Amino acid sequence: MTDDELDQRIRAAVLSDEPDTSRVAAAVRTQIQTQARHVPGWAVAAAAVIAMIAASAFSYRTFVKEQATPLLCVAAAQDHQREIVDGSPRQWLTDLAAIDSLAQKQGVPASAISALGTTGFTLERGRLCFLRKQIYLHLVYTKDGSEYSVYLRPRSSEPLGDAVREAKVGPEDTAYFRSHRLTAVFVALQPQAPDVLAFARAGLHSLTVADL
Amino acid sequence: MPHIAALLRVARRLTFDIASAEDLVQETMLLAWRGFRGFQSGTNARAWLFRIMFNAFHGAVRRESRLPDAPPSIVRPMLQEAVEIAEALEALPLEQRGVLLLCVVEGFTCREAAGILDMPIGTVMSRLSRAREELRRSLKPLVKAVYR
Repeated sequence: MTDDELDQRIRAAVLSDEPDTSRVAAAVRTQIQTQARHVPGWAVAAAAVIAMIAASAFSYRTFVKEQATPLLCVAAAQDHQREIVDGSPRQWLTDLAAIDSLAQKQGVPASAISALGTTGFTLERGRLCFLRKQIYLHLVYTKDGSEYSVYLRPRSSEPLGDAVREAKVGPEDTAYFRSHRLTAVFVALQPQAPDVLAFARAGLHSLTVADL
Repeated sequence: MPHIAALLRVARRLTFDIASAEDLVQETMLLAWRGFRGFQSGTNARAWLFRIMFNAFHGAVRRESRLPDAPPSIVRPMLQEAVEIAEALEALPLEQRGVLLLCVVEGFTCREAAGILDMPIGTVMSRLSRAREELRRSLKPLVKAVYR
């Protein structure tokens, strides 16, 4: 194992753990607010500037970024290009029971895979991958000889919105949504696989019917 | 708050305890806020925060005169691979683990890590090399069964 391979394994494992920073952030804000009453004016001004920057960033994430192409879609399109279009020599699970088991370990109910199977697209294989430092279940479906990637994980805080939306990322079309329990991104190369938006809409419908 | 997730991720692997890690990051952020005048505009804010955190951590270790114990499973990795790597990291000596987390996980250069840890770059490089050797010994090759 080379240094690069070892480093990549370590980085992927550690970065898969997304710590919950909410308690610490809240505690720090509270302490700063308390102490700000007893500090010189320049420090209060500095804290105010930091707060304004943070508020701007929050507003941007909440109201603007959702309208732009989500970074998750960019990551998914890049992964699809590398793994499916370019055909990286990866190991895939092809047995449905094994894929179901893998999905459940990641918090994706096996019933979600069954639900997506009712959309007219055929599940071919599955594996795990990292998108933006988080683990996703990567499923590959086919229809009319074209391949479609579906990336699933338990509903996350990605600013995706709950309705199906589409975004073009280079030669790939992506469609994405958050259902009640899942975050999903659909990707396919254009113009070879034109049904990505229809697949995502059918997917959201079938997941909703299955209360997912 | 910028960089707080990265700080907490590393803190959890230094202290082996979620509450202690959160305390350490909280102390770091407050020290940074109080010492903001000491930050030189245009320099690496992330490295500055990590330096504060490592100083606070080593100060706490010196006060308690012992290293934290390593209880099992401070994190709940979702993959067997991640479980094995978490265990291998826990088994590393603290000085090697710190260097590895900074250089490999957080992407600092050896020179930056040397500045954060306040030690010669040669020491950082040798600790990083030893940490990689230890991990290489303890990590099994990736399992290839079941897959096509």
